[in-house]
Amino acid sequence: MSSIDVMRPGRLLHDGRVRGWLAQAGIALGVVGLVWFFVDNAGENLARSGVATGFDFMGARSGVDIDFKLIQYGPDSSYGRLLLVGIANTLFVSFFGILLATVLGFAVGIGRLSGNWLLAGFSTIYVEAVRNVPLLLFVLLWYYLVIRGLPAPRQSIDLAGMGFVNNRGIFLPSPTDPSPFQAVIVALAVGVAATWLLRRWARSRQDATGQPFPTVLAGVGLVAGLPLAAALVAATMTAWNWPALSRFGVRGGTTVIPEFLALLAALGTYTAAFIAEIVRGGILSVTRGQREAAAALGLNRRQILRLVVLPQAMRVIIPPLTSQYVNLIKNSSYAAVIAYPEIVSVFVGSALNNTGRAVEIIAITLAIYLAINVSVSLLMNWYDARTRMVGR
Amino acid sequence: MMTKLAAVALAALATAPIAAEAQTASPGAKSATLAAVKARGHLECGVHTGIPGWSFPNDKGEWSGLDVDLCRSVAAAIFGDAGKVKYTPTTVQQRWSVLSSGQVDLLSRISTLTFKRDTELGFNFVQINYFEGQTFIVRKAANIKEAKDLDGAAICVAAGSTEERNATDWFRERNLKINIVKFEKNDDAIAAYDSERCDTYTAGTGALAGQRRKLKNPADHVILAGTISRDPQGPVTREGDDGWDNIIRWVFNGTLIAELHGVTSANVDKMRAESRNAEVRMLLGADGNAGQILGLPKEWMFNAIKQVGNYGEQFERSVGMGSDLKLERGFNQLWTKGGLMFSPVLD
Repeated sequence: MSSIDVMRPGRLLHDGRVRGWLAQAGIALGVVGLVWFFVDNAGENLARSGVATGFDFMGARSGVDIDFKLIQYGPDSSYGRLLLVGIANTLFVSFFGILLATVLGFAVGIGRLSGNWLLAGFSTIYVEAVRNVPLLLFVLLWYYLVIRGLPAPRQSIDLAGMGFVNNRGIFLPSPTDPSPFQAVIVALAVGVAATWLLRRWARSRQDATGQPFPTVLAGVGLVAGLPLAAALVAATMTAWNWPALSRFGVRGGTTVIPEFLALLAALGTYTAAFIAEIVRGGILSVTRGQREAAAALGLNRRQILRLVVLPQAMRVIIPPLTSQYVNLIKNSSYAAVIAYPEIVSVFVGSALNNTGRAVEIIAITLAIYLAINVSVSLLMNWYDARTRMVGR
Repeated sequence: MMTKLAAVALAALATAPIAAEAQTASPGAKSATLAAVKARGHLECGVHTGIPGWSFPNDKGEWSGLDVDLCRSVAAAIFGDAGKVKYTPTTVQQRWSVLSSGQVDLLSRISTLTFKRDTELGFNFVQINYFEGQTFIVRKAANIKEAKDLDGAAICVAAGSTEERNATDWFRERNLKINIVKFEKNDDAIAAYDSERCDTYTAGTGALAGQRRKLKNPADHVILAGTISRDPQGPVTREGDDGWDNIIRWVFNGTLIAELHGVTSANVDKMRAESRNAEVRMLLGADGNAGQILGLPKEWMFNAIKQVGNYGEQFERSVGMGSDLKLERGFNQLWTKGGLMFSPVLD
């Protein structure tokens, strides 16, 4: 064996780029091979054990009912439709959960750094108490708190003639014809656009005259007020289906089930504790000099927080915040233990048991969680890139 | 070291075909599951996570109940020791994957025989060891007399159970409205019912009798008379091992045959020595080679009956009048006494 023959591949291997490519190619091959092995193995085993396979079941009649649905669905609907009900319910509880967790998390995170001893103390206790309890227990705790805390149907709380609250849920009137409410979405869009314009105008005016304008307050008024006004107008245009007490609970109207309330409370308050720590860390990462400089400019405490500290803290906050949002969406699958009908409960629960298509159903469910969470990550990264300071 | 290993491996390879040939001499030994169970030294049995009377662990972790007795009978038939069973508690949702993945050899947990499960899911329901129907448990104070009165009620069920679909279909057919509230486990569902989240919880009559004992005040609840479905339940195996199916089927049939001929755990020694009934003599291994044909010891059913009892004994002890559940034999009485339990002939 001559030394030159050995040298050549040896020298190539010392090249970092070549080595990188080789490693990448090796890993890619390994992953493809592994996936192929699992798919092939599963297929062979399923065929041998006589288990039916394929996605044809998606069109079959499901035969199961769902008591909380945002889209049209009944026992005659297909498994595909059942999946959509599950996805909609997962997104629904995740959206409000993220909203609650963000608001609460920022409040508690800022509260922990407050000079107010009582507020800081409460915030610390909250974070430490909630963060160290397993989420499953927390979900069950909230569930039993909610259903035991609310009265039985016979002792329903009357919402001033507008509906009822009892341990079967919150019962509200529902419109017999929901089409006028499409105006609410239009009003929301108008409100957002108006706020954007207002902000531009306020900025240019402040640049020109130095006069500040309460953009935030006006924006909240526009974004919330316009849709509210549209909803009120729409409400007068449609007939209502009023809930009425019956032998068991309440009939008619629309229902917010206690499982939703419990899951929302559990996910929101649990994730808020983690977000609070992320926010605290973010704020602490902004150097003291920034505050002092801002104070020297004559900004008050609130202005310092909003205009100087938080924008810089967001750089640090957003990446871990994204993982908390993703976690919350995944954790919504704890719903299965308390009967909130989201993807895992209806699809992996009812559909898998009735069809036995374990591999297909688990694969679909994984793909859906992946799609939702990748979308959330991309959205957050886009926001992060947009708001990132240019230079430093 | 390596050479030693290689020699052993070679020897194993060389003798493997011979061993396989030798096995075919006894038809029962065709069962791969039986071979695996024997090699392992115990039976892996999938049971319910816990319903008194059916499969329930006591505070020492010892399982008992009618479904557990079937596992014990099979273990006694294979090993001569009813204690050689390991139990895997399974929920409504886990049970099928636990069985099809090979984690258990046998699933014995009040599972209803349905067309899909028997065909598409790749399982065999080898025999029915309990006939019943589905009914409801309600609070006495609610003053409900029959299922129809539940119009508008909230019903707690386990997601994916036959109860879920049965209830949905039954009320729809009668144009009655119900709210299905579905949980991952039966235990979560009954706990929610106990917390008044639901007006009723539904299950087979036998399971309900067991579940009722878990409520805070069992006396405050009634089980509605009459049923809305038929629920034939029995042990389930994976498709593709006929030899193993034969073992489970005939061990269960053996407990029925024993009851029919009055063979009990108390008199089984005497019966083996003295009985002149051909079926009893074959069952207990006094004549013939029934055990051997199944790949089991000659005393397969002798051991099972002696240690676990015949079907009637098992029933009375676990769910019948001798138990806390106090269920009537009803459909589960032998056909000679007006029930549905009818064993094929051991001949």
